[in-house]
Amino acid sequence: MGKVKVTGLKKSYGSNEVLKGIDMEVQEGEVVCVIGPSGSGKSTFLRCLNLLEEITAGKVVVDDHDLSDKKSDINKIRENIGMVFQHFNLFPHKTVLQNITFAPVELKKQTKAEAEKTAMSLLERVGLSDKANAFPASLSGGQKQRVAIARALAMNPDVMLFDEPTSALDPEMVGEVLGVMQDLAREGMTMIIVTHEMGFAREVGNRVIFMDGGYIVEEGTPEEVFGSPKHERTISFLEKVL
Amino acid sequence: MRTQKKITGFLVLLIFFFSFAGSLVPSAQAAEAKKTYTIATDTTFPPFEYQDASGEYVGIDLDLLKAIAEDQGFEYRLQPLGFNAAVQALQSGNVDGVIAGMSITDERKQTFDFSEPYFDSGPIMGVDANNSAILSYEDLRGHRVAVKTGTEGAAFADSIKDQYGFTVITFDDSPQLIEEVKAGGSVAYFEDYPVVAFGIAQGNGMKMPLPKEPGGSYGFAVNKGQNAELLEMFNAGLANIKENGKYKEIVASYLGDSFASEGGEIEIAATAKMSGFELIWTSMPAFLKGLGYTIYYTLISLFFAFILGLIFGSMKVSHNKVLRGIATVFVDIFRGIPLLILAFFIYFAIPQALNFTMPIWTAAILALSLNAGAYVTEIIRGGIQSIDKGQMEAARSLGVPYGTAMRKIILPQAIKVMVPSFINQMVITLKDTSIMSIIGLVELTQSGKLVVARTFQSFEVWLTIGIMYLIVITILTKIADRLERRVSRG
Repeated sequence: MGKVKVTGLKKSYGSNEVLKGIDMEVQEGEVVCVIGPSGSGKSTFLRCLNLLEEITAGKVVVDDHDLSDKKSDINKIRENIGMVFQHFNLFPHKTVLQNITFAPVELKKQTKAEAEKTAMSLLERVGLSDKANAFPASLSGGQKQRVAIARALAMNPDVMLFDEPTSALDPEMVGEVLGVMQDLAREGMTMIIVTHEMGFAREVGNRVIFMDGGYIVEEGTPEEVFGSPKHERTISFLEKVL
Repeated sequence: MRTQKKITGFLVLLIFFFSFAGSLVPSAQAAEAKKTYTIATDTTFPPFEYQDASGEYVGIDLDLLKAIAEDQGFEYRLQPLGFNAAVQALQSGNVDGVIAGMSITDERKQTFDFSEPYFDSGPIMGVDANNSAILSYEDLRGHRVAVKTGTEGAAFADSIKDQYGFTVITFDDSPQLIEEVKAGGSVAYFEDYPVVAFGIAQGNGMKMPLPKEPGGSYGFAVNKGQNAELLEMFNAGLANIKENGKYKEIVASYLGDSFASEGGEIEIAATAKMSGFELIWTSMPAFLKGLGYTIYYTLISLFFAFILGLIFGSMKVSHNKVLRGIATVFVDIFRGIPLLILAFFIYFAIPQALNFTMPIWTAAILALSLNAGAYVTEIIRGGIQSIDKGQMEAARSLGVPYGTAMRKIILPQAIKVMVPSFINQMVITLKDTSIMSIIGLVELTQSGKLVVARTFQSFEVWLTIGIMYLIVITILTKIADRLERRVSRG
């Protein structure tokens, strides 16, 4: 499981239309990187996939659940969609361990003991076993983001959304976060990543989507998009960032 | 669905809140069984009503009332409210009658039914004993005089102020008149003759340069067309005690024998003026009791204010336009109305309009809770909105419902932000309880007023009361500071 299907997705803030009709599909285990200039709507698009932004029109289906259907239990669906934010959004009043166990315990997915066990193994996976009892304020940016990834994974989701996960990091910390994400991709997690890390997109992504002006302008394999971009706007964007 | 549940929850709380307040109102049926009349009086109008050193209400009015009730065999409960509050409470039906040295005037007869006159009074001018410049009304030209609202003295001063070219300032309390004159704001005051004379006999440092004006009489008042049987009993009882000498005895015990027999000069031996220290020492039990009430009302009001704040604060940050609108209206209304007006409205206006009665302390707590509740709502809203939006998003993205995320993630962080504002609100509410003394709530300020009314030693009393507020607020602030440090340490 871990399929995403988007059809005719539109999003407006008042009269300002940010997404003007997005159609795309993500297969199980696929890693899709979304690139594009700022203001192109890529973050909004990502946030529509777990309904942090309300959908104005169109359809978003994750596995068999239709998010655009008002009757669906959005909390239930979100349990299956992990999200990692640009600014980590760790809970500052909880320890690293409590950050990770909060949702599984609160939503009765696991007992406290089980959740702590899972959390410890997740912390090991992201290389932060020794920080279990630390508070977020004492961590570096890279460490915070790795905890945030572990927190999202604790709900055992089938899809992971990453919203510019390395943009707020000091350059020397980008690598450790990308490393964790690369491991995750290798293990077969379905991932949709909004990113400015072109190298990472090229290396880890199965598919790259270039967005501009609220549309998907071009999509294809990393080789196609980075190697021989067809659209003029893609070419000029890549010229600027590469 | 979710919104509906929230609205229902809110309504349940609201009903709880008001039914709690409602349960404090003695039911009308219970009173029917054996009618106990509630009779309001002034708090500070010696010698007609005032608190003696032991905190008991005494005075000519109260002794007469007691004697008449005994003679006629009816039960009553006394409510010392202050003159204006007593009159308004009578109008609003909160009390059955008023005995408060109330002059019988044609104007008042429009609204009230009066008993036979039970005391002949008349206004007189009082000036500072050391002031030899004011010997006649003519000497008042260009000066200011103090009067008490709604008294004959006030009416008399008004009637001659143009002729003699002085201005008038009105106060709510008799002792305030003395203080005004002592402080030099006014050169003289006009007040009912027995009151002025009694005060001078008590050593308040005033004198009467002119004889008293012919004046009206005091009567016991009920609402027009209501409680006719009470009025009849009062009249019958008054006639009886005049007959059997009880009346004379009572008046003489306050104003001396000659006054009672001839309507003549008051001749009480001036009581020895207590030293400041002695006064404060003997009044301290009353002050401490008042302080206890002040703290008690503050805590209860803050408790309800906090509940109201939580309800309306969460409504203010909700995504539902209607809930937000309701909360905004709540805050605008109760933050926009001065606390004093709110207290008047709750205690006098609403019971009068809806025809029920409400104890003072219920009205006071309601007013304080609603006022503080509006501010707490804003504190909570501000606290919640100061927390980064990403916190809510992170929790929601994990599948955690809004309410849980609010309680477990947002509020624990927001409370740290709110603590200093809460402390501030606590101090404000504690000080605001003093405003409730105007509707007669017994608390620290009121207990000070009562002692000043008896002793006229305002400097010592207000200094002490001020220091007591200061001490309590400082202690509470220090405790709160410590709490705040602990909270912010996590």
